[in-house]
Amino acid sequence: MLAEFINPYYLQIGCFVLINIILALSVFVPLSTGQLSLASAGFMGLGAYTSALLTIHFELPIIVGVIAGTLIAGLFGILIGVPTLRLQGVYLAIVTLGFGEVIRVVFVNWESLTKGSVGISGIPHIGREILKTFKEFGFNPQSLGLQNNQFIFLSIFFLLLVITVFLVWFFRRQSRSRVGRAYAAINLDEKAAESMGINITYYKVLAFTQGALLAGFAGSLYAHVLAYISPADFSYHRAVDILVFTIFGGSEVIWGPIFGAIFLTFLPEVLRFISEYRYMIYGLMIIILMAVRPQGLIDVTIINWIKSKVSKRGVKHGSRSEKSM
Amino acid sequence: MVLEVKKACKNFGGLAAVSDVSFSIQKGEIFGLIGPNGAGKTTMFNLITSMFPLSSGEVIFKEENINGLKPNKITEKGICRTFQNIRLFPLMTAEENVMVGVHCRSKSGVLSSVFRTKSQRKEEEHIRSRATELLEFVGLKDFAEVSAENLAYGQQRRLEIARAMASDPNLLLLDEPAAGMNETETDDLFQLIKKIQSRGVTVLLIEHDMPLVMKLCDRIAVLNFGKKIAEGTPTEIQNNPQVIEAYLGSEEEEEYA
Amino acid sequence: MLIEQLINGLTLGSIYAIVALGFTLVFGVLGIINMAHGEIFMFGAFIGVMITSIFDAPLWVAFAAAILVTAILGYFLENFALRPLRSKQGVSHLAPLISTIGVSIFLENLSHHMFGAGNRPFEAPFAEINFQIGSITVYLVQIVIFVISILLMVALSFWLGKTKAGKALRATAENLETASLLGVDTKRIITMTVIIASAMGGIAGILVGMAFNSVNPQMGLSMGLKGLAIIILGGMGNVRGAMAGGLILGLAETFVVVYGDSGYKDAIAFLAIIVILLIRPQGLFGKKITT
Repeated sequence: MLAEFINPYYLQIGCFVLINIILALSVFVPLSTGQLSLASAGFMGLGAYTSALLTIHFELPIIVGVIAGTLIAGLFGILIGVPTLRLQGVYLAIVTLGFGEVIRVVFVNWESLTKGSVGISGIPHIGREILKTFKEFGFNPQSLGLQNNQFIFLSIFFLLLVITVFLVWFFRRQSRSRVGRAYAAINLDEKAAESMGINITYYKVLAFTQGALLAGFAGSLYAHVLAYISPADFSYHRAVDILVFTIFGGSEVIWGPIFGAIFLTFLPEVLRFISEYRYMIYGLMIIILMAVRPQGLIDVTIINWIKSKVSKRGVKHGSRSEKSM
Repeated sequence: MVLEVKKACKNFGGLAAVSDVSFSIQKGEIFGLIGPNGAGKTTMFNLITSMFPLSSGEVIFKEENINGLKPNKITEKGICRTFQNIRLFPLMTAEENVMVGVHCRSKSGVLSSVFRTKSQRKEEEHIRSRATELLEFVGLKDFAEVSAENLAYGQQRRLEIARAMASDPNLLLLDEPAAGMNETETDDLFQLIKKIQSRGVTVLLIEHDMPLVMKLCDRIAVLNFGKKIAEGTPTEIQNNPQVIEAYLGSEEEEEYA
Repeated sequence: MLIEQLINGLTLGSIYAIVALGFTLVFGVLGIINMAHGEIFMFGAFIGVMITSIFDAPLWVAFAAAILVTAILGYFLENFALRPLRSKQGVSHLAPLISTIGVSIFLENLSHHMFGAGNRPFEAPFAEINFQIGSITVYLVQIVIFVISILLMVALSFWLGKTKAGKALRATAENLETASLLGVDTKRIITMTVIIASAMGGIAGILVGMAFNSVNPQMGLSMGLKGLAIIILGGMGNVRGAMAGGLILGLAETFVVVYGDSGYKDAIAFLAIIVILLIRPQGLFGKKITT
């Protein structure tokens, strides 16, 4: 009975939604300090390849691979961020775009390590590892009325859900703190922020590196969810996808990129004919949004409106009366 | 001596915006910096706060040469400023603006912020109460939740002062705080700056409102074409022929009445 | 052998210079990076393919058509993606950049649908004609490319330096508000700049088609990236820097292919960006930035 409701296909889309939310955050966090990064796909690829290669060649546990992949991406984030930040904002966009392309070129050409454009298959799969562990402890999915396949996807989905919820919680709390205020101040007026005693270099590198870590982390997870990666997964189109999640959803509040990732991951699944014209639609959407609503669909006003609706209905919303950011 | 400016020069391209200006400010005084438009007053502020590097000369703050420090380090040392063309954080509330001002006097990092450690919560509470106190100090208590862009002009000016005060400065630089204010607001501002002085904060003030400057300042330096042409008490300045010449020779004459 | 490579490098470099000039003109006047320039260039290349292969028309018709189409694209770019942002208050400085990214995505995928995703052969009628000078082989195509590029650069320099419209453009680049106070029709100048920059991209597109004998929709991105690398190399908004930077990159890439690993040819542009940003952020020919 339970089994009938659990369709691995939908679960897989659910997993992509969650990974895409993490990716959208990887653009949102640097953008909340006014930095436009087009390198998310590159960092994602770094994380994915690092984790995949480590788990395949050294038979390390997935968790070690994921951590290593995340850290490598973060390290490159610092390496890119520091020299670029001394300059105007446009340089960062160019450098990150170039970086993403170079990462892809390296994946294609370093065949001895990456198998070139063929890609790497047989990457340890998170779901199967979880199933294996459970079975070692004498647990059988059949006892819940689930097939192995269903259990695998269900376990991945819940694992990713917990991770994503944690990350959203993390960055929401950060945004309501001294660090978050520093980010917002830099975004609104860099010079004024600096004269108020904020070390703008430090916070900009911090935000950029957090973005790189998030993308690397999402990439590592991606590798172990799909069990197959190739350079095409981390091309410029991926960078555009990730950028559009945040631009479309909104770059003022954390709910923007989350909404963007959910909506735009489902849309091509629901409307099949759209997927062929997806990038043309994305392109037009960006142009129109920048002209009409540059802050994206979800902004502070909308969040406040929703909150007022919710509180009017008499729902107790905790005693805190903090602001939407 | 709180601040000592020694032979400060600043050239933009071939143009000397400030040349060979020296003055020093005693602890606790209100020091005025006046002069016609384009005399180099705001440039002087930018040099003191390191927004621009000096071409030559020195700025000494509390016996320490602060040349070449980054602007945020200068704020940490105890100099904070307001801007001629108000630069608040427009989308933040008044309270948040002031809370940003406390930044360099607090230290919570990412992890303590996210996991709300005990010391972080205590610090955050302190920041909030400091903001509340300062909003009250400048008379904006009732506007804590209003976003800065929705405040009236005079309120924005006072909010900027509160934000600067939040960094606990020894020296406060005010760039034309009375610009665009009506008479009542200017009177309130006078009281406010006096209160700031009584808190032991030294004030360096750029202002075009001459009656206010004469009433407020202990000493005044006059700049013209990037050079200092006079320095002294308000009475001395008012009777200085060079100063009168500089003002009568410019479009600012009506303000000198 | 060395001289042949030198000629190859100069041919490639002169095309790069033309692409980079398109970026530099727009950056100089508007202060924004036109991320769609690479795709406009690619459109020019495809128009060239269409005209020469399907209609069998002579090369000059292809040039005219490419210039026309890319100029129209430039006009649309200015009218729909850039101007609406200029008239709005309080728009983030990133908005025009993101908007041109939108245009680039749209154009790239439009060309997928219009021209197909794969490579299309480009046949210049004189592709095989070459000269032997001693042991060196020089193709007529290379000479044509080089001559057209140089002519274009000379014409642009002359136009910017000596004509009234060119001077108005430079005044606008120097300071938009002042220029408008002095009676320059800045709106017209901006539109003209974007159109000229785009048309130069279109010309470069055909030149690339002639040089490599094939075009594809992805070349917009890689060429765009190289153009961006060149203007960072030569100094943002610097016309002479763009020309020199283009030649340097063209030579560098050619020699990497000969003496190194051709797979990494495309990484050189990025390497150049990083090195320049670290040691001379204002670019080789840029003035030191004073803030």
